[in-house]
Amino acid sequence: MAPLTPYTFIQCPCSDPSTLASSRPADASSPTSISGQERDDDDGRTFDPRAPRSNYSLYPLEYLLYCEDCHQIRCPRCVSEEIVTYYCPNCLFEVPSSNLKSEGNRCTRSCFQCPICIGPLGVTSLEKPADANLLAAPDNAASPPSGPYILICSYCNWSSTEIGIQFDKPNSIHAQLAKMRNGGVTRLTAKERKEKRREAAAQSGTGVPPTAAPTTTGGDGQDLDVEAQFANLKHFYQGQLADANAAGASSLSSLGDLGFASPNSLSRIMSIYTGGSLHDKKAKTRVGTMREALDSDEGFKLADLDESGAIEKLHEEGYDGTVSSEQLSNQPPNVGEVQLHGRSRFASELRPIPYLLRTKRSKRCPICRHIISKPEAKVQTTRFRIRLVAGSYIPSIAIRPLPGGGPPPDTLQPLRPAQFLLTFKNPIFETVKVTLASPATTPGRFASKVTVLCPQFEIDANTDVWDEALNKDGDKERRRRKGEDSGSGPAGGGQAEAGKIWERGRNWVSIVVEVVPASLRPPTISFGKKEDTGPLREDEDVLEIPMFVRVEWEVDAGGDEVGSVPSKDKDKEAKEKRELAYWCVLGLGRVSQG
Amino acid sequence: MSKRHSIVPPISQAGPKPPVQFSSSITIADSAVLTGSNPIVIHSESVVHPRARLESLGGRITIGRRCVVHERSTVGAVGTEGRVTENGVTLGDYVTVEVAASIEAGDTVIGDGTTVGVGAKVGRGAVVGKHCTLTPHTVVAAGEVIPDFTVIYSNGMRRMDKRGVVELKNKGQARQIEVLRRMIPSNPSKFQ
Amino acid sequence: MSRRPPRGEYIETDTGNKVARKATLVGTQNIMLGGKTVIQPEVMIRGDLARSVPSSSSTASSSGAAGGAPPNNTAVAIGRYCFLSRGCCLRPPGRLYKGAFTYMPLRMGDHVYIGPGTVVQAASIGSHVHIGQRVVVGEFAIIKDYVRILDETVVPPNMVIPSFSIVAGQPARVVGEVPEGGHEAFELRELYKTVGNNPQPAPS
Repeated sequence: MAPLTPYTFIQCPCSDPSTLASSRPADASSPTSISGQERDDDDGRTFDPRAPRSNYSLYPLEYLLYCEDCHQIRCPRCVSEEIVTYYCPNCLFEVPSSNLKSEGNRCTRSCFQCPICIGPLGVTSLEKPADANLLAAPDNAASPPSGPYILICSYCNWSSTEIGIQFDKPNSIHAQLAKMRNGGVTRLTAKERKEKRREAAAQSGTGVPPTAAPTTTGGDGQDLDVEAQFANLKHFYQGQLADANAAGASSLSSLGDLGFASPNSLSRIMSIYTGGSLHDKKAKTRVGTMREALDSDEGFKLADLDESGAIEKLHEEGYDGTVSSEQLSNQPPNVGEVQLHGRSRFASELRPIPYLLRTKRSKRCPICRHIISKPEAKVQTTRFRIRLVAGSYIPSIAIRPLPGGGPPPDTLQPLRPAQFLLTFKNPIFETVKVTLASPATTPGRFASKVTVLCPQFEIDANTDVWDEALNKDGDKERRRRKGEDSGSGPAGGGQAEAGKIWERGRNWVSIVVEVVPASLRPPTISFGKKEDTGPLREDEDVLEIPMFVRVEWEVDAGGDEVGSVPSKDKDKEAKEKRELAYWCVLGLGRVSQG
Repeated sequence: MSKRHSIVPPISQAGPKPPVQFSSSITIADSAVLTGSNPIVIHSESVVHPRARLESLGGRITIGRRCVVHERSTVGAVGTEGRVTENGVTLGDYVTVEVAASIEAGDTVIGDGTTVGVGAKVGRGAVVGKHCTLTPHTVVAAGEVIPDFTVIYSNGMRRMDKRGVVELKNKGQARQIEVLRRMIPSNPSKFQ
Repeated sequence: MSRRPPRGEYIETDTGNKVARKATLVGTQNIMLGGKTVIQPEVMIRGDLARSVPSSSSTASSSGAAGGAPPNNTAVAIGRYCFLSRGCCLRPPGRLYKGAFTYMPLRMGDHVYIGPGTVVQAASIGSHVHIGQRVVVGEFAIIKDYVRILDETVVPPNMVIPSFSIVAGQPARVVGEVPEGGHEAFELRELYKTVGNNPQPAPS
């Protein structure tokens, strides 16, 4: 088992039911009162990092944002996101959101992923370059490579020739592919299909599609792909509805109007699937039934239940010719294959996957709706206009085993005290007061004992680095003094002492936490109440300490802070008290099961 | 530092100097490492990059025509068993052994036109067919037989290469070798 | 520990580069270091694989002189504060271009960390990129800024990895996004100080 690197996860207040309850009625603009209230609620209740809910509320510090107006931590789950830019992750071109509706959420240039291994596909010329004399001739004499072109995967060596597809031009592959079925058969695009139908309608002389004498183009319905079938069906039923509305002046009884073939249910279904305004509320017409589609032009298609072809193919190509469910799920929907409404079972039916677009998103605070993160819109820039990350507001906590106790073991020994050094680093430009609280024993089946040796301390402000450089001597002196305070032994081998800081620096403080890990044997005898005597569950051997952190600091009461409530003693001084409190979880390591 | 063209710290030439049989048209970098007691045969126009290792302790090493053996690869690594066979490793023609790939000795055969990807491992006695592609980090177990035109990708998935570009690939290899011959100062005499 | 070796393990240049004596740099005249870059022992950089076909802009140069080097044939360009871990290998990517084989330069931005045992053949790597250990970056891959590539990943040739991606798998796919608060973790200034002939301990 890999040794566990210590971690710190912080709980976002959004998942705390008490916070939700208390913040709803309270005014969002009075943050200090909320947190005060929250603290009262929290008294006597310990956060359990192993509770199933906790999975969804614990985040590493980097993932958390901070709302400057609510003075609260925000997590990826509670912020509301707004899309700033859509772009293709391969060609890095921006896609205007207007194109998204018409073209879908995939790149429509020449960016494709391999249907076999999802690696990127490249366009190469099939024709062999005229070689022998090429090398001798200067570069400009080299004729540009000419078609046909194919898509090729440089990782798994898949090529579009395997599905019988070649291209005439090396650019706008997406458009070319849309007109092609596997095997190189041309396929009508939606626009062409529409035009064709219009022509057919014009030929038959009437505006409505011909019903009696179908002008069959293909004869059998086998060449209907999903999109064409849908378009034909839609067109057919639209015609039927128009007919029904025209003829339905004589209102019949509404009885028997619930079948599939009734115009009313039809128009309802069609408005669901096409999203159009087919549903005419005024037309309360009742025609008993309508006829169904009869041929492929009307979208009729016989279900192909004969699978002997597929079986034969399976015999021929064997397992290698089939696709995996993962490859299938990567396929773009409605790729226009004949079989099984676009679902492919053979590798020869797979289509190159156009890249899914990616987004840049801005984030808003869920309570006050202020933007707390906003990237620049341009695809290629990595700058942010607004980026309020929690790491620049709340102290970071780093964990490491206390040096001096021999080499740090990979696992914690049960019932043997171990000491860890927690280093709190203050990111803000004010001195902060930190108060820690943790339960004496960890929650869960195996209660380890926890002692925070110094639960209350101050961290100096995050002053300029140059200040530190200039005051280096003073800083050193202070550190030494602290060292003398905390222990009599030499530095590094000193004894941790209750109530004393271990070490302190410009904007950081280290304190010691002592744990006595519990033995991981499930209790064999139950005392009165029913105890869980099951075997060790996943990650139950990880020693996790819940810790409540309260940070207090003073800020200049600026005029811009209109909504903020002044400090509790109501003095309208230049300084204003702030505090932030949250739960966090310290994962220290695995307890040995020996 | 500006005067120096390369910083190539010396490698302790451990073990005996193997008998070699080089074609006159090969390119072998000065800092390639050849060790072992069995013969090492390199056929025409093949290229051995700096810091490639050819170890013939486990048997004779044969490298075909127009092969490229990249830096840090090991051809003829003696595996855990340490057995000696007559033919340690045989590479066909147009074989590419990529960076940090390793081919164990023990009647191991790599077929013509096959590429052994970056960091890939071919076990002792494996027979890899012609025109195969082993993608980076692929592991071929000892004694395995891989049919011609197999592509091994994504942690052991297999498929057939149906591109039919053998000719083209071989030409590309020839072009690459022409360029490498100009770039890599060859010093076959050091090993002879 | 007891006695400093007479010669440091690293060569420290005027621009602050720390190059291990046990690193293998072939063709140093074609390797550009931006400064403050660490090259650990057993790193290999193939500067000798320089572009052999002059770039299209200078085709008309018609350098008749044999071996007439083009003015700029940088093979590997490395920015500032890059960290090349033990055993990694950088080599320029090569391909057939207009019927001739040529190597193209490998360019790296600033604050690029390359893990131990990793092989990089990318065309370009942006700034603030973290590449884990035993990764293979295929030929002509393009890695943009703020990208994290997890251990053992195989980035296929020609792949483009957009900014703020976390990438893993064989072949690589985007498995996550770098969070807003994770940008600072790509900084390598502190790591730079921890190696060299007078290494400073890592700050807690």
